[in-house]
Amino acid sequence: MAAMNGGYSDNTPAADPAGPPAKQNVAPAKTVDTQSVLKRLQSELMSLMMSGDPGISAFPEEDNIFNWKGTIHGSKETVFEGTEYKLSLSFPADYPFKPPKVKFETGCFHPNVDVFGNICLDILQDKWSSAYDVRTILLSIQSLLGEPNTSSPLNTQAAALWSNQEEYRKMVEKLYNKPAA
Amino acid sequence: MAKQQEESNSNPAAAAAGDWENFRDDDIMLQHSAIRAEQADKIPFLGDKEPLSALAAEYQSGSSILLEKIKILDEKYSAIRRTRGDGNCFFRSFMFSYLEHILETQDKAEVDRVKANVEECRKTLQSLGYADFTFEDFFGLFLEQLENVIQGTDASISHDELVERSRDQSISDYVVMFFRFITSGEIRKRAEFFEPFILGLNNATVDQFCKSSVEPMGEESDHVHIIALSDALGVPVRVVYLDRSSCDTGGVSVNHHDFVPSALSSGGSGLEINPYITLLYRPGHYDILYPK
Repeated sequence: MAAMNGGYSDNTPAADPAGPPAKQNVAPAKTVDTQSVLKRLQSELMSLMMSGDPGISAFPEEDNIFNWKGTIHGSKETVFEGTEYKLSLSFPADYPFKPPKVKFETGCFHPNVDVFGNICLDILQDKWSSAYDVRTILLSIQSLLGEPNTSSPLNTQAAALWSNQEEYRKMVEKLYNKPAA
Repeated sequence: MAKQQEESNSNPAAAAAGDWENFRDDDIMLQHSAIRAEQADKIPFLGDKEPLSALAAEYQSGSSILLEKIKILDEKYSAIRRTRGDGNCFFRSFMFSYLEHILETQDKAEVDRVKANVEECRKTLQSLGYADFTFEDFFGLFLEQLENVIQGTDASISHDELVERSRDQSISDYVVMFFRFITSGEIRKRAEFFEPFILGLNNATVDQFCKSSVEPMGEESDHVHIIALSDALGVPVRVVYLDRSSCDTGGVSVNHHDFVPSALSSGGSGLEINPYITLLYRPGHYDILYPK
C-alpha cells in the first residue's frame, strides 16, 4: 500500500504552477492540492501548540512540514511512567485521506511496537479517518502504551511479560535509552 | 500485523540490499494494487444512466425472482446509474442525486434550507469537540458544489460538469468525507436514540461505531447511517430493495423504505413524501434509481 516508489505524489494532482485557470468552471474549482494539505498541517501545528496537552508535543522538521518529530511521555501510574519517546511522523501528499506514517525513533519495549519502531494501531491503518490529527494520534499512542493489545502483538516477548507488571517495569527500565534532547 | 510487515518490507533500503524475498512481497503488493486499479477503472465513481434492461441483463442466467422484480421496477423507474462498490457508494449516490436534483429544479429555497442545516451540523461538531480544521475543508467543498449547481453565476456548472466532478476523485472523496462528518455528528448528538440500533448492529458503543464504521473512508453504510444523514440534512431518501426475498403467498413485490427526516415526519399529516433521492439497494451496494 505504501510507497514502494519512494513518493506519494502520484495519487494527487500536482498544484498548477501556471497560475489561476483561465476560467473557473473549466477546471474543478477547488481540489485536493498541496496547498490544502499545507494549510491543514499548519492548522494542526497551531492547535497542538495552543492545546498544551501534558506529555505530548510535536514539531515539523526545519525544512519540511511533511515530516514531523514528536515526543510522548509515559503516563503516570503505568510501567512507562518517567520515560520519554521520540517519534517520527511523515505525512503523505493525500493527507488527511491517508494517515501519516508514525514510527518510534526511541526504542520502545511494547507489545504493539516492533524492533524497527513500527506501531500496530488501527487508527494508523484501516480505521484511519480525517477526523484524527497529530494531537489525537499522539494521545492515542500515549494511551496505547498503558493499554496494549496483547492478542495480536508485534513483540511477543513484551506481550507475554505484560501480565507481570513488576517484571515488565524492570524490563522497561533496563532497555530504556533516554533520547538526546 | 501483516500490514506492518509489508510496510517494513517495502523499505527501499531493504530492497536495495538485494533481499529477494522482499522484492517478491513488493511485486505482489504492486500486482494487488494494479488489480485494484483495474477494477476501479471498470466502474467509475459514478456511471452513466442506463436503462433497467441493463440491470436485467446481469441476472439473465440467474434468479427468476430477481428478474420478475426488475420487471416490476421497470414500471416505476426509467433508469439506473451505477456507483463504484468501494464502501462509499451510499454517500456518492447521495451526493450526485441531491446535487442533480438541485441542478434540475433550481430550488433556491431548498438550497437555503439545507445550508441552514449544514450550519447546524457545523455547530454540532464543534460542540462535540471536533477541531475546525478537521472538517472545514470538506464543508467548504460541499457548499461550493451546492452553489455551483445554481445557474446564472460565473461559477455555475452544467449537468455534464456535475457528472465530471462527481467522477473526480478529489471532489468526490471530499464530499464523501463531508457526509461522513455530518453522519457521525448526528449519531453522536442523538446518541441515546441511536444506541439501541448500533448495539443491535455490531455490539459497539456509539463512540466506537462512529470511529470505526462511520468516519473512515470505505466503511459501508447501513440504515443507521442513512437515518442519521437524512435527519441531519432534512433530506428524505427512498431505498428500493432488490433481493431474493419473496412473499409466502406467491406474489412477487418490490419493497422499499422511505427514510423521512424526523423534522418532516413529526408534522404527522400523513403527507405523501416525494423523496429527491431514490436508491436501489442490492445486498452490500447502492446505486441511483430514476423514477418515471
